[in-house]
Amino acid sequence: MSGSFYSNSTFVAIVILALVLLLIAALMVWVLRHITSIMREKSNVPVEPSFFAKNIKPKMDQWNPTIVTLIVIGALVVSLGIYGFDYGVTEVGVQQGYAPDQPINFPHDKHAGSMGIDCQYCHTTAGKSKHASIPSANTCMNCHKGAQLRDNYGGNVSPELMKLYESVGFDPETSTYDPEAETHPIKWVRIHNLPDLAYFNHSQHVTVGKVECQTCHGPIEEMEKVAQFSTLQMGWCVNCHRQRGIDVKNNKYYEDVHKEMKANNEHYVTVAQNGGLECSKCHY
Amino acid sequence: MSNSENKYWRGIEELESSPTVLGNSSNEFSDKLPMEEILGDSEELSSNRRDFLKFFGFSVSAVALAACNKAPVKYAMPYINKPENVTPGQALYYATTCGVYNEGFPILAKVREGRPIKLDGNPKSALSQGSLSAAGQASILSLYDINRLPNPKIEGDEEEDWSVVDSKVSEILKSASGKSIYLVSRTVTSPITQESIDKFVAAHNAKHVVYDPISYSGIKAANQESFGMNVVPNYQFDKADVIVSFGADFLGTWISPTRFTADYTKNRVPSPEKPEMSKHIQIESLLSLTGTNADYRYTIPASKQGRYLVSLYNMLSGGSGDAELPGNALKQIASELKAANGKALVVCGSNNKEDQIIVNAINDLLGSYGSTIDLGSAMNISDYNEASFESFVADVSKGNAGAVVMMDANPVYSYHNGAKLELALQKTKVISTTMIVDESTRNAAVHAPDNHPLESWNVYQPMVGHYVTSQPVITKVFNTRSAVESLRAWSGETVKLGEDQASHKWVTDYISSTLGVNANQALHDGVIMKSVDSGNPSFAGSASSAAATIAANYKKSSGFELALYQKVGVLDGNSALNPWSHEMPDPVTKVTYDNYVTISRNDAESNDLEQGDFVKISAGGKVIEQLPVLIQPGQARGVIGIALGYGRNIPNALQNDLIDLGKNAYPMVQASTSGTNYLVQNATIEKVGSGYEFAQTQTHHMIEGRDYLREATLDEYKENNAVRNEHKHHAITLWSDYDYSKGHHWAMAIDMNACTGCGSCVVSCHIENNVPVVGRSEVRRRRDMHWLRIDRYYSFEVDADQTASVRVGPSNVDQEFKKGQFSTMENELAGLDKNSEEDQDFGHYDTVKVVHQPVMCQHCDHAPCETVCPVLATTHSSEGLNQMTYNRCIGTKYCGNNCPYKVRRFNWFRYNMNSKFDYHFNNELGRMVLNPDVTVRSRGVMEKCSFCVQNIQMAKLNAKIENRKLTDGDANTACAKACPSNAIVFGDRNDPDSRIAKMFKNDRSYKMLEEVGTDPSVLYLTKIRNRKEEVQHS
Repeated sequence: MSGSFYSNSTFVAIVILALVLLLIAALMVWVLRHITSIMREKSNVPVEPSFFAKNIKPKMDQWNPTIVTLIVIGALVVSLGIYGFDYGVTEVGVQQGYAPDQPINFPHDKHAGSMGIDCQYCHTTAGKSKHASIPSANTCMNCHKGAQLRDNYGGNVSPELMKLYESVGFDPETSTYDPEAETHPIKWVRIHNLPDLAYFNHSQHVTVGKVECQTCHGPIEEMEKVAQFSTLQMGWCVNCHRQRGIDVKNNKYYEDVHKEMKANNEHYVTVAQNGGLECSKCHY
Repeated sequence: MSNSENKYWRGIEELESSPTVLGNSSNEFSDKLPMEEILGDSEELSSNRRDFLKFFGFSVSAVALAACNKAPVKYAMPYINKPENVTPGQALYYATTCGVYNEGFPILAKVREGRPIKLDGNPKSALSQGSLSAAGQASILSLYDINRLPNPKIEGDEEEDWSVVDSKVSEILKSASGKSIYLVSRTVTSPITQESIDKFVAAHNAKHVVYDPISYSGIKAANQESFGMNVVPNYQFDKADVIVSFGADFLGTWISPTRFTADYTKNRVPSPEKPEMSKHIQIESLLSLTGTNADYRYTIPASKQGRYLVSLYNMLSGGSGDAELPGNALKQIASELKAANGKALVVCGSNNKEDQIIVNAINDLLGSYGSTIDLGSAMNISDYNEASFESFVADVSKGNAGAVVMMDANPVYSYHNGAKLELALQKTKVISTTMIVDESTRNAAVHAPDNHPLESWNVYQPMVGHYVTSQPVITKVFNTRSAVESLRAWSGETVKLGEDQASHKWVTDYISSTLGVNANQALHDGVIMKSVDSGNPSFAGSASSAAATIAANYKKSSGFELALYQKVGVLDGNSALNPWSHEMPDPVTKVTYDNYVTISRNDAESNDLEQGDFVKISAGGKVIEQLPVLIQPGQARGVIGIALGYGRNIPNALQNDLIDLGKNAYPMVQASTSGTNYLVQNATIEKVGSGYEFAQTQTHHMIEGRDYLREATLDEYKENNAVRNEHKHHAITLWSDYDYSKGHHWAMAIDMNACTGCGSCVVSCHIENNVPVVGRSEVRRRRDMHWLRIDRYYSFEVDADQTASVRVGPSNVDQEFKKGQFSTMENELAGLDKNSEEDQDFGHYDTVKVVHQPVMCQHCDHAPCETVCPVLATTHSSEGLNQMTYNRCIGTKYCGNNCPYKVRRFNWFRYNMNSKFDYHFNNELGRMVLNPDVTVRSRGVMEKCSFCVQNIQMAKLNAKIENRKLTDGDANTACAKACPSNAIVFGDRNDPDSRIAKMFKNDRSYKMLEEVGTDPSVLYLTKIRNRKEEVQHS
């Protein structure tokens, strides 16, 4: 996985730069050849006409210059337009693979992976609110009041963990909170950014839809540094809504839907069939 | 559909076919794209071909530059210590109070991530019954007012340390020894605040003076004399079958309008089981909101009000009166009042003691005490005593005051002789606890800003026996301190500063020990009820001596009478910096932002005045240099009206239309030691200019003579519950029907019998849905953004014999009604022509009937907007919603042009973070009030009512999480929640037990413009008036 999300545009810039350089090189070659031919003319040395002048040039002279120009420009506009449109539609604002540095190098692979802590132990509100919410520092302190990770640091507290202690005003040497200490919240960098025009609710998916965290967030338990796994594009949302079924059996809210399904001998209703593709389910 | 078949009219412009209105009505989005405005008004930019190329080049490069921007890095900051119960993303509701009308109105504050974003009424309290007025809704913005003092100030310099402030205050108070120390506050309804004041008064031998901008001292004095009780009684409009109001705007501004509206409408909705409703007769000079709802309304000069009261009293006690309404109506009123058998109520808006004594005598004759009036559970309002305040002013003027503490009163603005008081206050040191710098505290030595009510602990007693608790719902926004604590700190008590406010303990102690209830439970409920002895003493006043005084004092005004009144949104002027209060169209005149002189059609004609002319008003020795004239149908002749609450002179950090708004009419108030009178005799007006254009919404979004309103009389209703709705249209449609049999089918019903037009829903919708404030000049261009508007229609009252057979609605629909019930405007005017004198007189303008009709997106099942959208930005949902997807919209406005209800609004600008719209959307503090669940729209997109889809989705989700079926009332719209009269019902019509499903079976229900085949999801219920048309009343 590439380190930075912006490498894509850097690549584009390099390609453009290369094209410009090639163009300059071609021009220079052309100028060089022109000068050579003039030199030869001056020195009255008969020159064998080149392959181009003999075979291609006469044919080209028969073409209508206006039409040719139009065709070339048209082809350029169409191809660049298609590329631009495709880029605008599919790439702008997509941060798949975005893995910024965080103020504290929190390793999800250790916590969720090797230690097997449940996601919702820290992201407590994922099941009951719109936001999954980043845990407050006091949640970290539940364990890290005791687990001070001194083994790898020659008896000293891990420097990353030290940032947490500073944030909450905790003195690891005495294992006490300093009431006078100035506390400050940790300024995490948001990885998953939905535009404001889209409403997303975690509890709808986690509690009601019983979607696994990994379905959207990927193998978090293997990530040392979290990166955005999915595109978070509308097409990605819609695809899932078209495929996933609703568990109508075990939720009284869907009682009427369930009754109807049984009457019609249906077994499966997708989110989309239940209106899950309608605009105002997510945009308001 | 010719205009002549239109029985209803929005305003004189429409009635008299003003060319601009008629031109505009067919052209909803008339203006071209305002390129000049967007790009600045420099001369070079007037468009031509070269400019087009410039713009084009600019846009291309701007797009290219914008595309190069990096996606911004966003941060997420969790709590250090997450408070229990706080779930980011989930709203919490706290019971607390807001300070509209008087202290301690019970509300529920919706709090998201620690910031209140919406106020609703507290359903546990009889005062609010779950609803909140427009002004109350809007008051949340005062919390996020950028003009609030961020720190205390000493001699103009900011001081962060409160102990320095305290020592400065005690220094001032010490140096004042030998002179008097005054503490000026508004009426105190809080025992906690009262205790603080008492301690301060005791510690410094100070004097406490109460000052209220609006006085009810006349009612108190009258009850003192009649019953020996110095109270404003508890009027119970729900228990009255006949209500007669002499100029009391009890649904709009008088005493406790939200509660009165809720009570009033309980007895105003007839049903097949109980086809009865109260009869409401309004006798007034200006057309008030209450007057627009009356069954019968009579216009009288305000100065004669007392004489009409005496006449009514005499008629009731068997005699006859010398003042009589046209058609012997007062006699009929007297007999109806008697026939009500104790279930009658007479109220009067006058602040004149004698008038109120007569009212008391009338109510005593009618047996209203103990039935519709309770003296025991009195309203704690207006302890303002003119005599003691006048002596305070005199004392300060003499330089006898060493220090004056201004608590929350602002007398320099609203006292009739504010200029004198302001000069006088310069002779003393003012210590202020107000949140903003106002007229009275401009030159204060010390500013010790109070917390906002939403940041404070307190207990109020707005009604005797009715306690309301207040708790902070947000961490203090600024470095402020509760005035309750400040006063005790200045009385020598040690008050600990910090997050856990000292007043918290005083409040919980008071609740648990004095009131004897569990403090936690009380704070949770927000209301504590104590039983009150309603012991109604017998009437001991003298009606005859009051009548004699009235007769002696009556003088016919030479020139005009000036009636000073309050507006529903603006009230006493306290909310001067609140854009919501001003952008809400006035319920009667539909004017936004301005104040003006209202005048009757007849007087305008005889004084050669036109709408928008400027006049100079002289009254009571005071002059208002110029105010525009507004011609108001239904206003008494010889009376002009000016609203109070304008002309504030306070610094405003924002550059917007709220600066220098209107003129202050308080100096014209007639006040003396014996009382305050809001009627000024011998006023003169003089035309000084012309051509003012009001930002008036009354002719916006016109529905051009179609069948939108239905009304009938109670007798007709008794005969036929489906009166006016007999003809059902069976419109054929080209579209296939949607299948709504499964799932939800959201719908709304609006009972026009219950709707009073108060505008609470308009402001509620404005707040809930992040609707931008656009300012006066945009409203003039008919670009107001309200998703919900209330259309106010006038119609003439006509005699039965003047009308022929009549049609209502489109001419292709056969809808004939009985003779005499309806008339076309043409017939009316023709009928009036018979009486040429009356016609020239504009007599028919004096008495008009009014209907209020809230209109929002009708969520049509065959929506015309959906079929014309080229980009599918507006589509239909399986739950019957007409969805609007902003990010798809490209702004063609086709949908708006195709909407027969004219409910779609176009964003002509980006209204947020735009210095040209310098309201709360343009500063960080103001944006805290935004609802995080609703998108803030950008320029160039359409928007409209969504049926509060965010609430629907939330309700469904909560039901799914709690593993239960959705129940009626889970999903509700902001307008329905706010409505004091429960006129708006929202719900799932597929749920057979829901209130909305029952509304669909109600015979009174009809769909607006049913004949065009849009099949709306909004029902209207025919307005029933308790009138007898065959009896002549004019």
